[in-house]
Amino acid sequence: MDLLRVEAISKNFGGVAAISNFSMVQPYNTISAIIGPNGAGKTTTFNMISGVQTVDTGKIFLEDVEITKLPSHKIQRFGVSRTFQNIRLIEGLSVIDNVKLSYTSRLTYTMFEEFIHSPRVRKNETVLEDIAMEYLEFFDLSKYAKSKPKSLSYGLQRRLELARALMNEPKLLLLDEPAAGLNPAETRELMGTIQKIQEQKNLSIIIVEHHMDLVMKICSIIHVIDFGKKIAEGTPQEIIKNKAVLQAYLGDMGGEIC
Amino acid sequence: MESGVFVQQLVNGISLGGVYAVMAVGFGLVFNVLKFSNFSHGGVVTVSAYAGFFISSKLISSFPLALIATILVGAATGLLIERLVFRPVRLAKKPLTYLFVNSITVAMMVQQTFAAIWGSYYFPYPEFFKRTAFSIGQLVFSGTYLLMLAVSAVVLILLTLFLKKTKLGIAIRAASSDIYTPPLMGINTDVITGITFIIAGALAGITGFFLGMTYTVTPFIGSSMIKGIIAAIIGGMGSLTGGVIAGILLGIVESLLIAELGSSVTPIIIYLAIVILLLVRPQGIAGNLYTVKA
Repeated sequence: MDLLRVEAISKNFGGVAAISNFSMVQPYNTISAIIGPNGAGKTTTFNMISGVQTVDTGKIFLEDVEITKLPSHKIQRFGVSRTFQNIRLIEGLSVIDNVKLSYTSRLTYTMFEEFIHSPRVRKNETVLEDIAMEYLEFFDLSKYAKSKPKSLSYGLQRRLELARALMNEPKLLLLDEPAAGLNPAETRELMGTIQKIQEQKNLSIIIVEHHMDLVMKICSIIHVIDFGKKIAEGTPQEIIKNKAVLQAYLGDMGGEIC
Repeated sequence: MESGVFVQQLVNGISLGGVYAVMAVGFGLVFNVLKFSNFSHGGVVTVSAYAGFFISSKLISSFPLALIATILVGAATGLLIERLVFRPVRLAKKPLTYLFVNSITVAMMVQQTFAAIWGSYYFPYPEFFKRTAFSIGQLVFSGTYLLMLAVSAVVLILLTLFLKKTKLGIAIRAASSDIYTPPLMGINTDVITGITFIIAGALAGITGFFLGMTYTVTPFIGSSMIKGIIAAIIGGMGSLTGGVIAGILLGIVESLLIAELGSSVTPIIIYLAIVILLLVRPQGIAGNLYTVKA
C-alpha cells in the first residue's frame, strides 16, 4: 500500500487545462518533489490533493481510501497538512493559537465542559499546550508564543507555518515553495530542517519548488510537469540527464541545474 | 440640565447603549466571518420581538424564561435564514453582493409579512415585575432599563469568554481573520458559519425582546438595528470591542440629546456627527482600515 496515489487527475479553468492526466505515487517515508516552470500546474495539483480545489476527472487515494471528493477539513483530519506559497497564518490569533488551531478538530470535550473548565479540559489543554510549545521550540519560535504572527520576520513566519502543519501529526506533508523569499543561507537551513522533520516524524513529504539545488539534494523522486502535463519522473540523477526536462523546463539555463 | 436628570439620562443611555452594543456585536460577528453587511439581522430582531411578545403574554410569564425562549427563537431563525438564503449562495461561491442583496430582501420580507398580518395592531409586552422603578435619593431609575443593562453586560462578558477561551470561539476568530485557511487546519467552516449565525440570532433575540419591552412591537421594530450597524461601523468593522464601546457611547449621546433637545432634532445631530466622524476617522474607533477580500 502506498501512502498517496494520484490517478490521472485533471483540472480545467474555463477551457484551459491547468493540469491534465497527472498521476503519481508517494510511498511512506519519502521526500519527493513536483517541479516545473511557472504556471505548469504545480500548485493546482497541491490544491486538488488538499481539497482546496475540486478534481474535474481522476481519483486521489490516501492509504487506499478515496479522498477525491472530500472537503479539505476532512482531508486534513486524515493526516494531510500543507503550507502555502504565500504564507497564510491567521492574523487574529497568537503564534501558539495558530499552532494549536490545527489540532482543534480532534478535541472532543464539549463547550459546557470548557465553560466550567472541567478536569478533562484542563488536562487536554495542558497536553495541547505542551505539544504546541514543543513544535515552537523545534523551530526556535517559543519566545514568540504570545505574539501575533505579523510581528514575526518572513523567515520566522515560514517556520511557524511548518510548526502549524506538523501539529496535525500528518502522514503526508505538502510544502508549496517552502524556500520562496528565503536567502541562500536560510534555504540551506530549511533543507536541513525538512530532512530532520522527515527522519524524526517518519512522515512523507512532497515539495513544490523552484530552488533546484534544494530539490536535487533532499528528494529521492522528482516529478516534472510542463503546461499541465507530466513530462518526466525519476531520481535527481535521472532528471538531470533527461532531455525533455532540459529542453522544456530548464531551456536556456540548462547548465545551472546544480 | 439638572445633575439629577443628567445622571438618570446617563444610566438610561448606558442601558440603551447596551442594547445597541448587543446589536452591533450580532451584526459584526457575521460581518467578520463572511465579510458582508447582514441586514437580515434586523429581520431576526423583528421576529424575536413578536415571538417575545407572544411567549411572554401567552405562554411564559417569568421574565428570565420568556427571555431564554425568545433567544432560542432568534437563534433558530438566524440559522434558518443562513441555511435557506445564504448557504446556497456561499456554496456556489457567488460574489458577496448576492449575500448582501439577499440579506436586505429577507429583512424587507419579514417586515412586510408582519405588516400584512398584524400591521394595524400594537403589541405591548406585559409588565414582568410589580416594581417598575427604583429610587435612590431623588433619583428614579427604570427597572426595565437596569435589567437590560445587566443582561447585556452578562451576555457580552459570556460571549467574550466564549470567543477567547473555547475551541469553537477560537475557530470563529480564525475564520474571521481568514475564511479560506481554517479548512486546511481541519476546521469545517460551513459548521462555523452556521454557529456564527446561531450566536448572532441569539443576540438578535435579546435585542428584539428588549426593544419590544421598551417600545411597542411593530413590523418596523427591526429597522432600529440601523443603530447597531452604526455602532459596528463607528466602532471599526472587524473589532467587536469597538462596536460595544461605540454602541454604549451612541446610547449615552442619544439619551442626553433627547433630554436636552427633544427627539426630533436628536437623530439629525447624531447622523450628522456620524458622517463627520467617519470622514475624520474612516477606520472607526478601534478598527484598522478594513479591506474586504472577496
